[in-house]
Parts: sequence; C-alpha cells; structure tokens
Amino acid sequence: MEAPPVTMMPVTGGTINMMEYLLQGSVLDHSLESLIHRLRGLCDNMEPETFLDHEMVFLLKGQQASPFVLRARRSMDRAGAPWHLRYLGQPEMGDKNRHALVRNCVDIATSENLTDFLMEMGFRMDHEFVAKGHLFRKGIMKIMVYKIFRILVPGNTDSTEALSLSYLVELSVVAPAGQDVVSDDMRNFAEQLKPLVHLEKIDPKRLM
Amino acid sequence: MPVAEGKSVQQTVELLTRKLEILGAEKQGTFCVDCETYHTAASTLGSQGQAGKLMYVMHNSEYPLSCFALFENGPCLIADTNFDVLMVKLKGFFQSAKASKIETRGTRYQYCDFLVKVGTVTMGPSARGISVEVEYGPCVVASDCWSLLLEFLQSFLGSHTPGAPAVFGNRHDAIYGPADTMVQYMELFNKIRKQQQVPVAGIR
Repeated sequence: MEAPPVTMMPVTGGTINMMEYLLQGSVLDHSLESLIHRLRGLCDNMEPETFLDHEMVFLLKGQQASPFVLRARRSMDRAGAPWHLRYLGQPEMGDKNRHALVRNCVDIATSENLTDFLMEMGFRMDHEFVAKGHLFRKGIMKIMVYKIFRILVPGNTDSTEALSLSYLVELSVVAPAGQDVVSDDMRNFAEQLKPLVHLEKIDPKRLM
Repeated sequence: MPVAEGKSVQQTVELLTRKLEILGAEKQGTFCVDCETYHTAASTLGSQGQAGKLMYVMHNSEYPLSCFALFENGPCLIADTNFDVLMVKLKGFFQSAKASKIETRGTRYQYCDFLVKVGTVTMGPSARGISVEVEYGPCVVASDCWSLLLEFLQSFLGSHTPGAPAVFGNRHDAIYGPADTMVQYMELFNKIRKQQQVPVAGIR
C-alpha cells in the first residue's frame, strides 16, 4: 500500500513527519585516507568516530504488491546501545530540481528483543549485512563512510566478507518535511568533496 | 503491581485514597496508563497460515518517553514514542480493534519507599473498574520483597489483597523491569474488558 505523499498528510498525534534527505557516492579503498583527511578538515571538530553495525532488513508481505520494509540495526562495538528500528518510505517524486533524494523516515530506538518481536508481528528477515566505517557530522548533516560486508553464515556476524573494493559514502540529513533548503546545503557541501567523491541523488528504484 | 476490584467505582476510589492519606502517604500528582489493541489485518493472514494475533500498544506516564508493545504470552518491546508513528504507517497490516482503547487514570501517592497509584479504569466514557498499583522502589527481584508488599497491601486493601501475579510464575528470581509492569496491566485490562459492565450504583 502506497502511503499518501507525506507532505500532504496532517500532523498526526502531535508528531511531525520527518524526512531523510540523502546523497550517495563511493570511493575505492585506496582513496579512503584522503577522503577521511578532507572530511576531518571540513566537518565539526570531534573525536573521529568509527562504528561497526549489524543491520537486518525485515519484510512483511501482505495482499499489497509491495511488502513493508523495516530495518533493524544494532551496534556491535557499543555495548548497551539500544537497537535502532527504521522505516523508510518511497522517495518523493515531487521536484526534479531537488538535489537530494527525499523520503519519509521514522526512527525508533528499541529494546534488545526487537527481532523476536518483529517475527511475532509477522515480519521475516530478508537479508542482513555488517557495516563498518567512520562517522562525521557537520551541523545537522551526517556523513558516513563505510564498507559493507556480506554475512556468510546467517546469524553469524564473525564470518563476513567485503562486498566490494570500495567504501560507500552517504551524506544524510533527517529534518521535518518541507525544508527544501536542506538539500541546497547538502549540495554545497558535496561540491567541497569533489573530485575525491561525487555525491549524487541515486534513485533506488532504478537499480532494481 | 496492579490489583483490581470493582464496586461502585467513584466511592471506592475515594475510600482507598482516604485510607492512604490517613496512613501518611503524600499525593504526588497524577498518572495514566493506556492501552490500544491491534489485530493483524485479514490480508496478511493467508500468507502466514495462523490465526490473527492481538498486539497491545501501551503507554505509561511513569515512563513518558517510552511506548510498550506486547503480544499476549509473547515478547514485550520497549521502544520510544516514535513507535506510534510507525503504527500509523502500518495501518494496512495492523488494524485497531474498534472501541478498544482502555485506560486508567488517577492519583499517585508516595509512602516512604512505596509508590501507590490508584486509578479508575475507563473504556470510552464508562468507568469499568479500579486499578491499584503498588511499587516497592528499592527492590528489583520480585521474590525478595513479595511478602513485604503483601503486608503493605493488606494494610489498606484488607480482604481484597490479591495473590502473587502470574508474571512471576517461573521467574521468581529474575530482575523485575517495566515490561513486567506492562504485562500485568495488560492482563488486568483484559480481565476488565471481559467482565460485564459494572452497574452504576445509586448516589448516596
């Protein structure tokens, strides 16, 4: 079931619909150091932050053609951090001139029994992967440079292999709906990372 | 740990609160626990081959930033309040059971290490029962303080003191958490839902 375009939906229950603005690109392994170096210069001054996360994607199949997708992510290197459940809607097709991919996003922190609970709700795991990389911040923008690892034995996060010889670079902002100035700021920042990496709006549907 | 009784609601609540105030408990504001029921929509049943399950989504003013989602005899998920937004998105798969919202609202009392909450359970406009929750702060293992709680309950509930909650069944020595409280509230609400509507007593 396609939810109606989010910008038309009223504010329900006192919460405002949040949108994720996204630009993506990639760099080959050997260019990683120079990218990190530039990001360290451009981004907010903070301790370099690395992360090791395990993400599982769950699907709920209904009568509708497209299943409902939820992403459950847990930190493998920070003990005690809550699990992160994320729903991402369909990309808003509105303005072709908009510089970033915009989609509705709901982020929920949960307790550790999330996978059991999702299975009880009827969700089934579609695929999982491990993401390992660096995290930078500039104001409300979040920049992640990470490598995706395929899990060889389902459920066993120790045996993984890298999916490719490159790092995925994502520039994202989560902001209330309707703030298009955000994508302009993102584009300006992305300009500063050229020619090391070209961040662009990649429509996930075109890849399928 | 909630306890239930239903008589003529308004007067019983006043009786209880007066007893508590005589004991020396201090009034500390109000509380609210509410529960909504969802069931899996017919469209998702075919692919799973199982009967529709009931999911309860509850909030507790004691934990204002959390949302509790549970299945009867199943896991209880503790999430933040964005979970409600997610339920709106899941409207096609999980439908809210009609007129199912049940809640209890009342006053919160503090008596030394005990936290007592006496509330009126309402479903829509009608009052259906009374909930009494007693929490003993310092202890996190149920079996260690059950007898103390029982004694305290007897001091103001008299003959209505309940037996040990089912939630402790096989886990007497496990650490008690907010999820256990919500399971008890869910069982209480279900019990009250199944009861016939309490007849409204004449005003004396």
